[in-house]
Amino acid sequence: MLEFVDPVDRLRTAGKPMTDPLELRAQVVAEHVIDLVVHSLDMNYLVRQVDLNAVIAQVDLDELLARVDVNAIVRRVDIDALVEQTDIGAVIARSSGGVASDALDVLRSQAVGLDEFIARWVARLRRRAYTEAPAPPVRRRVRARP
Amino acid sequence: MSTARQPASVTPPPAAQEVLQRHYAGVASRFAAFAVDVGVSTGVFLAGLGGLAFAVSIVTRHSVSWSKDNIVVGIIFLAWLFTYYAYSWGGGRQDSRDGTAGGAGGCVRWHRSRPPAGVVRTLAFPLSFQFLGLGFLGILVQRDRRALHDLIAGTVVIYDWDARAARLRFLARESRTDPADPAQSPFTQTG
Repeated sequence: MLEFVDPVDRLRTAGKPMTDPLELRAQVVAEHVIDLVVHSLDMNYLVRQVDLNAVIAQVDLDELLARVDVNAIVRRVDIDALVEQTDIGAVIARSSGGVASDALDVLRSQAVGLDEFIARWVARLRRRAYTEAPAPPVRRRVRARP
Repeated sequence: MSTARQPASVTPPPAAQEVLQRHYAGVASRFAAFAVDVGVSTGVFLAGLGGLAFAVSIVTRHSVSWSKDNIVVGIIFLAWLFTYYAYSWGGGRQDSRDGTAGGAGGCVRWHRSRPPAGVVRTLAFPLSFQFLGLGFLGILVQRDRRALHDLIAGTVVIYDWDARAARLRFLARESRTDPADPAQSPFTQTG
């Protein structure tokens, strides 16, 4: 039974010890040449040659933005820290709040503080433990059966 | 716009704490809300009465004055109070079973079941004043802080305002005031 024999196979095996070092050397030379070429190029000049307006005109920004989940990004932003560390809070206050809102906040805070004070004293008189203002139990949503 | 301020080290006031929202309101908050409601309802009624007297005097060219002893004025006043409170306590947002509604005081009631809870609550409200206000004792001693009229109407009162907006206002105030001078801040609790 005859088998297919590659006629160059033996030659390739014989030449392998010679080609391997040559290939390695060629790779080193190529890297060196690329380095020299890249360093000799004036990238600023090249970039100036590019018509960025034409490139941007090719980009479909709507499609790009449609892929971005803006809500997820916004959710990751620590708004409190942002407001705390910048003047954005003052801008928000100027746009959304006034003296009346501030006064209402103070009144509500005083009232809640007084609530807690009274509740603690009543609990003490009744010899009961009091930790915080009680809240209604969280009601679980029950899915109707078909 | 300047940046990189030091973070505020002051605990937000209770009004700006979202964790307090939907907790049962205490006696002081409820009394404050009721006082505001009384002021608003009476003020609006008197303003309306004054406007009506002015309109009548222009049309008939006779001056009209209302006496508080007048039975008609009394009945209109009671009807107005009923409408004001029934709407305030029952006309808020409602989902499947619960809803919230509030008067001008900003302390909002959470109705447990029936849509006319505002009407029932308003009708039962005078009962809590009976026997030296014994009906209000439940606010102090019950876990869910319900007065007699709450028990009758099946309602509870909870804190329900925009605490997030209050927190933003608080942070804005803190960013404007000098952190080294606590006297500039209306809230001086340190965290």
